[in-house]
Amino acid sequence: MFEQQNERSYQKQEAVFLNAKGVTKKNNRWYKDVGLGFKTPANAIEGTYIDRKCPFTSNVSIRGRILTGTVHSTKMTNTIIVRREYLHYIPKYQRYEKRHKNVAAHLSPAFVGVEAGDLVTIGQCRPLSKTVRFNVLKHQKTAKKTAKQFQKF
Amino acid sequence: MGISRDSRHKRSHTGAKRAQYRKKRKFELGRQAANTKLGAKRIHEVRVRGGNKKFRAMRLEAGTYSWGSEAISRSTRIVAVVYNASNNELVRTNTLVKGAIVQIDATPFRQWYENRYAKVLGKKRRQAGSEEKTDANKPRSRHLAAKVAARKGVVEPALDSQFGSGRLYAIITSRPGQSGRCDGYILEGKELDFYLRKIRNKK
Repeated sequence: MFEQQNERSYQKQEAVFLNAKGVTKKNNRWYKDVGLGFKTPANAIEGTYIDRKCPFTSNVSIRGRILTGTVHSTKMTNTIIVRREYLHYIPKYQRYEKRHKNVAAHLSPAFVGVEAGDLVTIGQCRPLSKTVRFNVLKHQKTAKKTAKQFQKF
Repeated sequence: MGISRDSRHKRSHTGAKRAQYRKKRKFELGRQAANTKLGAKRIHEVRVRGGNKKFRAMRLEAGTYSWGSEAISRSTRIVAVVYNASNNELVRTNTLVKGAIVQIDATPFRQWYENRYAKVLGKKRRQAGSEEKTDANKPRSRHLAAKVAARKGVVEPALDSQFGSGRLYAIITSRPGQSGRCDGYILEGKELDFYLRKIRNKK
């Protein structure tokens, strides 16, 4: 449990009071259901990480848009870039062109093993940093080396 | 003032430099930081957006601190700033900000404890003074004495030694530059161990 205290200030959940007398059930952890039918991962409930921006274990609320996309990069600390592709219609030629937009989303430590190419559902929350306004809610790994399968781009 | 909180002067997510197309607006304004120091109370009132007030504490010397496990709060004098996770400069200059670890005067808490539990805190120092008239020993009615004896007062050793020196470690949880108050709670348990270690490593 002590690997979480890597910062210069004490990391803890704000909603939890640690020093009550007459003791506690072990693992005094606060978590919530984000709503809209999203299941809170077991890792969020049983884990020991402290993340002020996790939608399940802190007070960021998910409201507004819910988007899906594929993971483009995971090189940032605790955040990922989600690539959303779409087709744009050109009326003159009656044809489409491919376009994409990148969205920066916060990735809670509850999600382990997220790699580039995985499908991810993100929900809008309040601004968490200069470019991050979304939080990862659901993660679905892409099976490696499937035979040619039609996938939503 | 010149301090603005807009994001129009920053580069966009793609790295593009944004052209300036309008002047600074009043609703984007920022003000000078308070940098509240220890000293005789001096608070400036600021008129803010909507006609509301903010109390910019320039100097403070006392605040209300809570003893969480006992669920009480007392107003106490702040003695010194001892640790700040963000900036050591703020420790050296005794600047009061939210999240700073300070030392507060322990007497109101000790008096409350001795009144309630009839036990003496910080034993070692007390022995030098021997059995004086502390609240722990004041005469109580039989009914009250029975109630007091039934209460269990357990204080962890780290806190107990702090009572002996008359200074408790606490963390500030209010924002003195916004509310004009310097309130917080007394550090206990794992949090206290964490900060004690940080303070000791500094020295």
